[in-house]
Amino acid sequence: MSPARLFQGGLVVVAAALAVYPFFGTGYGVRALLQLFMWIALAGSWNLISGLTGYVSFGHVAFFGAGAYTAAILITNAGWSWPLACAAAGVAACGLALLIGYPCLRLKGPYFAIAMLGLNEVLRALVSYFEGLTGGGSGLSLPTLQASVPIYYVMGLCAAAVTALTYVIITSRFGLRLMTIREDEVAAEAMGIDTARHKLYAFLLSAVGPGIVGGLAARDQGYIEPISVFPLATTITMIVMVLFGGKGTVWGPVLGAVILFVSQEVVWARFPYVHQLLFGAIIVAVVLLMPRGVLGILQIKYRLPRTV
Amino acid sequence: MTFKVVGVFVAGIVVLATTAVVVDAQGPIRIGASMSLTGTYAKLGKNQHEGYKLCERDLNAKGGLLGRKVEMVVYDDQSMPATAVRLYEKLITEDKVDGIMGPYSSPVTEAAANVTEKYKKVMVSPLAATTSIFRKGRKYIFMVISPAEVYLEGLVDIAAKRGLKTVAIINEDTLFSKAAAAGATDLAKKKGLQVVFTEAYPKGNTDFSALLTKVKSLNPDVIAAGTYFDDAVALTRQMKELNVNPKMFGVTVGGDLPEFYDTLKQNAEYIYGSTQWEPSLPYPGNKEFFDSYKKEFGHEPSYHSAAGYAGCMIYAEGVKRAGSLDADKVRETLLKLDMKTMFGEYKVDQDGFQVAHKMVLFQWYEGKKLTVWPDELAAAKARFPTPPWNQR
Amino acid sequence: MNVVITPAMIAQVVISGLLSGTLYAMVALGLALIFGVMRVINIAHGPMLMLGAYVTFFLYSAFGVNPYLTLPASMAVLFVLGMLLERTLVFRVVDAPELSSLLLTFGISIALVNLAQLAFTSDLRAVEFLTGSFVIGPVAVSKPRIVAFAFAAIITAAAFLFLRNTKLGKAIRATSQSRDVAMVCGINVGRIHLITFGFAAALAAAGGTLIAVIVAIQPEMGQIWTFKSFLVIVLGGAGNYPGALVGGMLLGLIEQLASLFLTTQLSEAVAYVLLVLVLLIRPTGILGGRST
Repeated sequence: MSPARLFQGGLVVVAAALAVYPFFGTGYGVRALLQLFMWIALAGSWNLISGLTGYVSFGHVAFFGAGAYTAAILITNAGWSWPLACAAAGVAACGLALLIGYPCLRLKGPYFAIAMLGLNEVLRALVSYFEGLTGGGSGLSLPTLQASVPIYYVMGLCAAAVTALTYVIITSRFGLRLMTIREDEVAAEAMGIDTARHKLYAFLLSAVGPGIVGGLAARDQGYIEPISVFPLATTITMIVMVLFGGKGTVWGPVLGAVILFVSQEVVWARFPYVHQLLFGAIIVAVVLLMPRGVLGILQIKYRLPRTV
Repeated sequence: MTFKVVGVFVAGIVVLATTAVVVDAQGPIRIGASMSLTGTYAKLGKNQHEGYKLCERDLNAKGGLLGRKVEMVVYDDQSMPATAVRLYEKLITEDKVDGIMGPYSSPVTEAAANVTEKYKKVMVSPLAATTSIFRKGRKYIFMVISPAEVYLEGLVDIAAKRGLKTVAIINEDTLFSKAAAAGATDLAKKKGLQVVFTEAYPKGNTDFSALLTKVKSLNPDVIAAGTYFDDAVALTRQMKELNVNPKMFGVTVGGDLPEFYDTLKQNAEYIYGSTQWEPSLPYPGNKEFFDSYKKEFGHEPSYHSAAGYAGCMIYAEGVKRAGSLDADKVRETLLKLDMKTMFGEYKVDQDGFQVAHKMVLFQWYEGKKLTVWPDELAAAKARFPTPPWNQR
Repeated sequence: MNVVITPAMIAQVVISGLLSGTLYAMVALGLALIFGVMRVINIAHGPMLMLGAYVTFFLYSAFGVNPYLTLPASMAVLFVLGMLLERTLVFRVVDAPELSSLLLTFGISIALVNLAQLAFTSDLRAVEFLTGSFVIGPVAVSKPRIVAFAFAAIITAAAFLFLRNTKLGKAIRATSQSRDVAMVCGINVGRIHLITFGFAAALAAAGGTLIAVIVAIQPEMGQIWTFKSFLVIVLGGAGNYPGALVGGMLLGLIEQLASLFLTTQLSEAVAYVLLVLVLLIRPTGILGGRST
């Protein structure tokens, strides 16, 4: 069997194992995997804008938070069912991305990063301020509903969909154009690529996933508050996962999310006092020692195709 | 390769699950909790954790529970609701603990309670003070401390009795502090005080000058603040800097910690603080608790330590009287239980909502906290009114 | 609420705003220097301020040193630490894409905060040295803040004089204008990076010492200063050093006036909305242009 076949076979087996897991697994296992799917979807989404176009979104958690609040408000105030509310959360995040992306994507380099960071803070402050709708600092408590298993499947589908979308984009002309922007925006412009439009499309696509996932996370947790859904730490975790796995690749975000999440859950949880310190050290190490990520290194070493 | 990993993972879980069942029969009673060992609430969570540890020690010294040793299983939730949800799921479904105790803080409890309800596990929550948590039809959660809404009752009560007229209420914009401020507003109105100003400030705020300038312009008789700790310190300092002189100034949480006085020194004098418990209160076993805690951990307990200890003891009492670990039996017992601990009285209504425990108000007096309210527990009369800053 | 805003109140918050604005300017000047010279956004800038505050606290509590006299000590300690960080880690990402430097300094920032937590615990510390205020009519001027203002003004002025008149200062400005030309002129760019980073850390440390007397000290006190410094250098124009002064004052005033007229909740949002607007409309900052 060729390596590619082997890989596809493995993928099918893993997917099947994950699909039947809730019938055998513990409640904790379901919740932990659900969380892992969430990180895969988040990291994969960040990769779409920042890994492909090179525009560093330093406030990507804004879409997650916007999704969480949209879904939570629709569920508590309007009585929507959660699947519908989470779909709406994706739409809302996309709308927000349109609003932000149109002006902000003109900013270059660090300015875009800082603007995104600022927008996330603005959003958090606004959510706290309009307490009639959002509960302000008291947060929103959703009606009790036990739906971990259905949410597990939907979250898994989201992770798969983001990964599949990345594959489709990377193998398409659209993806090539995005990567051209990353390598040299002026040259891309000169080649006749409508860079503004392409960046905006990538940005919109990268916002949908976090929006839906945010809604699902809110439903699953049953309680959200501004500080827990808009933290800078979540953006940083997405970024580190992508960087660790390999940015601009299909499987990099998945790999990064799996390795970092599992090590956090299994290893670091035993060392609560140094856990954050380790995280800091890992960031420094990844940036300095393997800026291309695990997959990037493998790609060079084994001449793997770009579409891995 | 990935499949292998999954296989090992699954096999591991199966092994764990079976061993847990086998050991369960004779092993110790394991009580699980997640705790804010790191993150924003680390400081207060640590005190609660020590309360649990002391309770574990004392229970075992008296022969354990139902003839078995007691063992606490505690994980770090980083002060984050999302992590706590996962950890309670782990405690219940993988570690298969026999009993559950609550985490620190209202937001974390609010999220964790969804898990414990799902598995029908009794959770005594010693440090969740927000009423709404207990009014959502949950059946297995029990409250130990007085609700957030009455934290500032003593302050408002004294103010009304002394004939003060106006009050400004400010709070950190988080679940607990907001509830405390809302409660204070209601109580003040009921007692005929006029609430002239309310405003929330974001968590982590350090600059209160504009807020206090507004308060100062209204010259209220009382300033009541729903605080945690850092903000209580910053507010006091900046009140002095801006020369804001209310006749009474009281805070919810933070004012009771010894660090409050260590940080502010004589500037803490005259400040009122509300607390769930004080070492000096005449509750049964209080002195013994204080002494053994101090000996064990090398520092004085805060009310968080005491509530943790008492909550764990209440759960143990429930198990003892029910004669079983069965959640429904323990629940029935805890609903009926009326118990006097070193923390004060415990009695709950049908929702598990605390109805008997008393809040106290203290005032800093020459480096000590003197209980000034309620009258039956008061050790001294309040030094009233608070003089302006330049005369302290 | 039924608050009537009087001129006296406006005067009060304007004074508060200008006093803290000077501190913002001094601290942000460090961030601006690093950005100007190395094109690195140093997220670890705030934690350096925190370390400076701890130096002051320990000298004050262990030896009873007057906290203002610890300024040279905290600046010196952080100058050395800053150079160490530059030489071991930061220099490696100077020419890398901004993602690398953002993440690297973020990693350093987490590590510093958590090391501080392990070493000093997260207990609140305080330097209770100078409290209270001078009351002038309806306005109260905080004593520790006016002293901090004076020191910050002196340090900032000295920094500008150093940048303008000394050979080293000119070399720093030359490097930030064009690294290649500076190199051609015989400036040792590596050495300039090293000194700039140390110098910037020392400015943050000075901020730490001065606010140690005003607010409580704890390991997480610094991060908010990183964000404030961002705001300052964007408002004033990144890489534009006098701009930091303008930006600092502006931020101090905006924060206070927004809290006064709106609420404390919204003042943060107002500052960030302004940040985004300035970036979009006038990316060179309020002053405009790029002069040093």
